[in-house]
Amino acid sequence: MQKTTNYTAEIFDALTKGNFICSNSTDPLQSLLYTVIDEDFDQLFTYFSSINFILERGDEYFYFSRTESKASIESKIEHAFAWIDLVDFFITYDNGFAPGFRFTPSDIQQQVKVDVSLKDKLEIMKRLTGDGSYAERINNLIKNHLVKNGYAELENELTNQYKVLASFNYIKQLIISIQIQEETANEIPE
Amino acid sequence: MSYIISLKELINTLNWSKDLLVQMFEKRKSFAYKYDHALEIVSEDKIESLVSKHILNQNGPYLELDEQFQQFFEQILEVNEEINTSFIHENIQQVKQQINFYLQENNEHRKHSYLKQIKAALRKTGRITLRNVIDLNRNIENAFKTEPNYTIKIAKLEAFDEKRRAIYTLIEQTDHLVTEEELTFFTSALDEELKQVVIVLRAQLTESRHNLIETQKQIIEYLNQVKYQSSIQEKIKQIKYLKDQFELKAKTNIVSILQSSNDVVYENRPAYSLKLSLDFLQGDEGRKHIEKVYNRMKKGPKKIVHLAENISSEELLPQIEEEIFIDLEELKRGFMASGRHLYSFIMEYNYPREVSYEEKITFFCQMVSIYEQELRIQENYQQDGIVEYAMVQSN
Repeated sequence: MQKTTNYTAEIFDALTKGNFICSNSTDPLQSLLYTVIDEDFDQLFTYFSSINFILERGDEYFYFSRTESKASIESKIEHAFAWIDLVDFFITYDNGFAPGFRFTPSDIQQQVKVDVSLKDKLEIMKRLTGDGSYAERINNLIKNHLVKNGYAELENELTNQYKVLASFNYIKQLIISIQIQEETANEIPE
Repeated sequence: MSYIISLKELINTLNWSKDLLVQMFEKRKSFAYKYDHALEIVSEDKIESLVSKHILNQNGPYLELDEQFQQFFEQILEVNEEINTSFIHENIQQVKQQINFYLQENNEHRKHSYLKQIKAALRKTGRITLRNVIDLNRNIENAFKTEPNYTIKIAKLEAFDEKRRAIYTLIEQTDHLVTEEELTFFTSALDEELKQVVIVLRAQLTESRHNLIETQKQIIEYLNQVKYQSSIQEKIKQIKYLKDQFELKAKTNIVSILQSSNDVVYENRPAYSLKLSLDFLQGDEGRKHIEKVYNRMKKGPKKIVHLAENISSEELLPQIEEEIFIDLEELKRGFMASGRHLYSFIMEYNYPREVSYEEKITFFCQMVSIYEQELRIQENYQQDGIVEYAMVQSN
C-alpha cells in the first residue's frame, strides 16, 4: 500500500485528464505507473471509487470512467466521429496500424502522395487537420489527435518516429462494438 | 544424360569450384548472380567448364546454379523450403514394391540387396517427414508474419493447412505400412537392423505427428487472428461509410453505446480552481507572491497606441483642382473703357462664371478700396432697393 500511495497523485493526474496509462509506453513514468496499477489494481480501484472515478482496465491500458456521465451526448458523438475518421485514415495508411506500430509523418506523407484514397481522406478531414500543406496537416493530425490524446507517442526525436500505444485499441474497440443494422450491412458497398 | 563421366570427376569439380558454388548457393534467393561476379572468384575457362558440365547455367549476363544441384545441396543441407509430399509418397510406393520383390525372391543375396534398399528408403522417409514438418512450421510462421496482404495471407495459410493434412495422411500410411499392411515381411525378415530402423522410423513418425497437432493449432490460431483482423478492417470501413453518408446515428446503435459509456475521455480537460490558503498568504512566502502579483498589476495593461493608417499612394499623387478666379485688374480695365458708373458696370459685367449678388457687392467694395486713386467717387448716392451706393466714375 505504501508503494501505491506514492504514485496515486500521478495516476490521478494522468487519468483525470482523460488520458490513458499504457503498458507499451516508452516514457519510464508511464510504464512505472502501469506496473503500479497492474499490481495494486484492486486497492486503487476501491480508492478511486470513493471519489466517484472508476478505474477501468482495458487491453494493456488503464483509464477512468464515472458512475454518471458529465459529457453531453453531442460531445461524445463528436469525439466518436473524429475517432472514426482518425482510425479509418491510419488503417488505410497501413493495415497493421495497431499498438506497437511505428511510423514517421514523412512515411505517411509519402503514402499520401501515391495513394489517392488516402489523399482524399486527408482532404475531407480538414476539420481535424486544419489548413496547410499535406505535411502540416499530417503533423497536426498526429500531434493534436494521436499524441495529445495519448494514442501514440514520439519515440525517437531524431528520426521523428512515433509509436502507437495500447490505448489505440480503445477507440478501435469502440468502433468495432458499434452494431450496424443487419439489412444496412448488406447495402454497404465493398 | 549426364555430363560428368565419373563420381570422382564430380567430386573433384565440386572441390575446385567450391568457393564460387558456396557464394552462389548463399545468394540463390537474394539476387541474380552475374557472370562478372563469378569472374572475380574463378577464371573464365573454369566457369566455361562448369557450364559445359551443366553444374551452372548461363542466362545472358547471369549465372545460376543448376536446378538439380541446387536441390541436391538443399536436400543434403536440409534447407529446402518447398514442402514436397509426393517424395514421401513415392518412397512408400517404392518400399511396397521392394517388399513384394523381397518376398518373391528366393536368392538370398538378392533378397539381401532388396532389404538394404528397403531400410534406406525407410530411413529416408522418417527423416524427410520430420524435415517437412519443420519446414512447414517455419513457412507458416513466415507467411503469418511477413505477408502484408490479408487475402493472400489467408490463402497461404489455408494452402499450408492442406499440406499439413497431406503430411499427416502420409505419416498414417507409413505407420500403417510398417505395422499392419506388410506384417508378413516385417515378421519374416528377421534382421536386427531392420527392426532398429523401424523403431527409429516409428519414433520419428510419432514426433512428426505430435508436431503436426501443434502446427494445426497454430494454423487455426493464425487464421482466426487474420480473419479477425480483416473483419475489424471491414467493420471500420463500413462504419466510416455510414458516417460519411450521415446515416451512422440512424442505422447503428452508436448513440446508445455512447450514452452508456461514462468514460472521462469524453470530458473536457478539467480545471481545478482552488481558493488560496489564507494561512499561506499571511506568511513570508505568501507575501513574496503577493508582491509579485501587485507589481504585475501596477504595471497595468499596456497603453494602446493608436497608429494612423498608412497614407495610400493615391493620395500622394498630384491632383488638379480648378477654380475660376475673377481678375479685378481686368474688371477695372473694362470699367475704364466702358464709361458707365461702377455699380451698373459690375452688376452687368459678363463674368466667366456664375457670380452671386453678394459677391458683386464685394467686388464693388474691393474696386473702390484698391483703385481709389484712379476712380472718382461722387457725393450723390443711389439705391437699388437693397443697398445704397455711391456713384463712382472713371477718371
